[in-house]
Amino acid sequence: MKFVGVDVGSTTVKAVVMEDGKVGWQDYQRHNTRQAEKVLEFLARMETEAGLAVGQDRVFFTGSGAGFIAPQVGAKLIQEVVAVAACVERQHPDVRFVSEIGGEDMKTIFFTATGTGRSKQVYMQSACSGGTGTFIEKTARKLQVPGERLAELPYAGMALHKVSSKCGIFAETDANTLVKTGVPVEEIIASLFEAVVYQNLATLTKGNTPAPEVLLLGGPNLFFKGLQEAWRHHLAKLWSQRKLDLGGREPASLINIPAEALYYACLGCIEIGQGEKPEIGIYQGSDKLKWWVEEGQHEAKAKEGARGLVAGAGDLATFVSEYVKPVPPCHVGDSRAQHVGAVLLGCDFGSTTAKAVVLSADRELLFSCYALSKGNPIEDAQSLFQQVREAGFTDVGALALTGYGKDLLKDVLGADMGVVETVAHATAALHFYPDADVICDVGGTDVKIMILRQGTVADFRLNSQCSSGNGAFLQGVAERYNIKLEAYADRAFEAKAMPSLTMGCGVFLQSDIVNQQRKGWSAEEIMAALAAVLPVNVWIYAGQLQNLRAAGRKFILQGGTHRNMAVVKAQVDFIRGKVPDAEVVLHPYSGEAGAIGAALCAGDWRTRGETSHFRGFETIAALTYTTTTSAGTVCKWCPINCTRTFIDVQLPGAKGREWSKVPLAPGWERVISGNSCPKGLVEDVNEMRVVKAKLEEVKREYPNVAEMVRKDAFRRVSAAAVAE
Amino acid sequence: MGFLTALGVDPRNVVFSSDTSEEQGRQFGKGRGTVDCCYPVKCISGHYGELVFGQKQKLDILLSPMIYNLPSFLSGHVAKSLTCPRVMAAPENIKAGFIKEQDAFAEAGIQYVTPFVSLDEPLLVPKQLFETMREALPGLTYEETGRAVEAGFRALRDFSHRLRKKSREVLEWCARENRACLMVIARPYHMDPGIGHEIEVDLQAYGYPILWMQYFPIDDDLMQWAFGEDIRAGHIKSAFDIRDVWPSSYSSNTNEILWGAKVAARIPWIACVVRMSSYECGMDQPTYTPVQQIVERSGTLFFSFQDLDSTKPSGSVKIRVETITHYLEKYAGTIIAKKKAAMPAGCPFLPAA
Repeated sequence: MKFVGVDVGSTTVKAVVMEDGKVGWQDYQRHNTRQAEKVLEFLARMETEAGLAVGQDRVFFTGSGAGFIAPQVGAKLIQEVVAVAACVERQHPDVRFVSEIGGEDMKTIFFTATGTGRSKQVYMQSACSGGTGTFIEKTARKLQVPGERLAELPYAGMALHKVSSKCGIFAETDANTLVKTGVPVEEIIASLFEAVVYQNLATLTKGNTPAPEVLLLGGPNLFFKGLQEAWRHHLAKLWSQRKLDLGGREPASLINIPAEALYYACLGCIEIGQGEKPEIGIYQGSDKLKWWVEEGQHEAKAKEGARGLVAGAGDLATFVSEYVKPVPPCHVGDSRAQHVGAVLLGCDFGSTTAKAVVLSADRELLFSCYALSKGNPIEDAQSLFQQVREAGFTDVGALALTGYGKDLLKDVLGADMGVVETVAHATAALHFYPDADVICDVGGTDVKIMILRQGTVADFRLNSQCSSGNGAFLQGVAERYNIKLEAYADRAFEAKAMPSLTMGCGVFLQSDIVNQQRKGWSAEEIMAALAAVLPVNVWIYAGQLQNLRAAGRKFILQGGTHRNMAVVKAQVDFIRGKVPDAEVVLHPYSGEAGAIGAALCAGDWRTRGETSHFRGFETIAALTYTTTTSAGTVCKWCPINCTRTFIDVQLPGAKGREWSKVPLAPGWERVISGNSCPKGLVEDVNEMRVVKAKLEEVKREYPNVAEMVRKDAFRRVSAAAVAE
Repeated sequence: MGFLTALGVDPRNVVFSSDTSEEQGRQFGKGRGTVDCCYPVKCISGHYGELVFGQKQKLDILLSPMIYNLPSFLSGHVAKSLTCPRVMAAPENIKAGFIKEQDAFAEAGIQYVTPFVSLDEPLLVPKQLFETMREALPGLTYEETGRAVEAGFRALRDFSHRLRKKSREVLEWCARENRACLMVIARPYHMDPGIGHEIEVDLQAYGYPILWMQYFPIDDDLMQWAFGEDIRAGHIKSAFDIRDVWPSSYSSNTNEILWGAKVAARIPWIACVVRMSSYECGMDQPTYTPVQQIVERSGTLFFSFQDLDSTKPSGSVKIRVETITHYLEKYAGTIIAKKKAAMPAGCPFLPAA
């Protein structure tokens, strides 16, 4: 009689056929999300190649995808960790720690010797991509490292860089930044291995020491040489720190990666199966599974689906009449020319575009323009101001800036104020909708939620922990289907039903989509589903905002992603589902909201009666500047070492920077660009000293009780001495 | 320090673990974590580790008391002054990570001492400390412990007094100059730069003095001015009574947080309250809405930083801080004037009219 163990994992299917204690057949293959199909193929091959017989041989299944498949063929299901542990216990009596890393999960097992045998403690995580095989592969794909090369890349001896270990998508972003700054691909991959080992040790040890001997299992541990080296490095270090007695053996010799590392779950299934009663797990043939693959799954599709984004023609018509409106035009040509008097100018210097708007003294929108960012904020600004000037505005009453460039350019342009993004958006929203409670801004790469109270931004959520919920993903999927973003909504509204996608990790959402696709869901149905899951990701997953009702009842939607009406429809339905009397408004100038808000703040500033510091169009157009990119401009604040560019602008009255490594004479002002984080805006230690000294002065003048508490509470003197 | 030096310990022989930091946790606490969802409790692993493994000086005793209740200034006016049960149990919980496989304390030659103390019941404290410390300090007598406990409480009173006086000076300056200050409403551990991430320091840098609710001045004249009307109207029995907003007044820090909200709402120069809380704090959850509403009802600005954990979200803190200072600059004058108008005459900070 043969025993078969099949492991249906998140990325591969593995199977072993065993007879009389000998392995007769084994194989593993990637299933590309077609788990049932791959299992069917394996069963057919085992029947012909290994003589698997219906009604006689016994089959045991394990793995995250086995739950549904096992009963179709008469197999018994065995929990995967139990299976792995059973195999380890039989084959490796001395092993005390096992790490199994899979495509989308990771597990650790600790064995402790007890009086009668060994007790086990098992930890597992499968909700997040951090620490799993996908985490490495996704970034490696982006870096165009082929599988074979990835397997050979080393860890030992490589310089390591900081890569987010928590989220696969952020790791990818970190990797991109590293590439841009010229870090070799090999070092980035080594850093990924580091991140995976760190994440496994940080989240899955829970106070236990991974003691020798150690077994590393699963595809990534088997295939990636660098990952093995990373484990060896960290475990050896840990053992020496904890002063573990290794019995005189080399730490490396205590860490094993068996050749069958992939098949331990299968072998464990067989191990357990052999102890089962004879009537358990008898192979029933593959007919039922075949039927399901060919027909059953498509029937299931119709049952499990939710209704489409729109509940019928009536629903769509109501929505369209309420939300799909032409954008109210800015005043054109003649009305602009007729405008007399000083105007309010607001500019928003974002990371990809720079925008400017012109408001009349009565806060009426007169003109707007934008420039794609070319990486030099001075040139971006010059382009904007040229457009404003050409449109016929010459008299600027006040100028305010917002966006990341606000601090850089404030002095150079002579802006009257720099306005933080939240305030700019809130001011713009409250100008058009004085009773607004919540602003939801969904851009291409970020999500901002602002909760307003008392006319201020009382709470604010910036999605920075996780990439889930932003618009880039929608765009990616539309591109994959070869559908223009403008046509997204119309196509999505066509769907009569849609699959339900899982909220959360963007990495796993991608494989979920592939999965739904193969169940037969069409492009428009999946696009509808993706729009439908976006609000959940925005509010609950990324925004961590469970109670929308507490936030208010008037919601303003803005940001580029809300140009997609399918998203707006999903947002409206989602918000009204939570807050039945909610009023959901689409901001008419959603892309310009930041610049409008800045201009409105400039208006407030002007009412104080001061004269604008604006340097004038001629001065800005004629700005003299030099750019320096050299060893002296490299940022030393962290190991990424961004190659920054110093843009030095000639400005009367500027102090210059004589202390700098790239000295600057008085009469010049420095603008730093090319840094990837705010720290890089401070030139170096010398500037930090200048900044710190100023800060200390302020701190002395305006005390903080906490500082006094710390100083006083931890003073190492006797109480009597203090009292005196 | 008061207690230990009275016992005869040379102050130079007392070592405090340093401020909490990510580095500390990584270097000394990694792999010693125990199951606890409270971020500040988790940090204790790093502190123990630093004391056990990270000292040049050889330590004899690691003293980490389990504090059952605290001597709050609200004691006697509220139901109880208990500590958070997680924090109280932390020394036992964290210890587990150090003795699970091998006894790391014993290996380092350190005696681990965790007395259970009811600091809000001073008469019990000598007995509690004597019983747990007599082994670690051979020859210790009960009388000696009693005297040291008295010295300890005295030192604590002096300490609080000094800081309340400083806070009062800040408020007097604000009143005189008609300038705004900020009050932080948080738990004491948020003063630790690794737990509160010095968020208030970023605000201080914009020129606002920072008060902490724990050390707000509680002098009679000020309390009468702030709460006298409510007492006379029968809403509360004393200035430290919080039954009007928080009937289940059992937890020491929670009580103080609610009282802090009340006092911040009344003092005109506190133009803004900054609320901090750590990741998924079960004690703080129910206080969010009442604290916010009490503060905002008075027109005071209110901003909260919730779910703080190991990483300082620098980007979003910077944006928040700029947001707060923008509104402070814009509205502080109006807020102070409005709050002044709502308060009775006779402010002890201002010269009598």
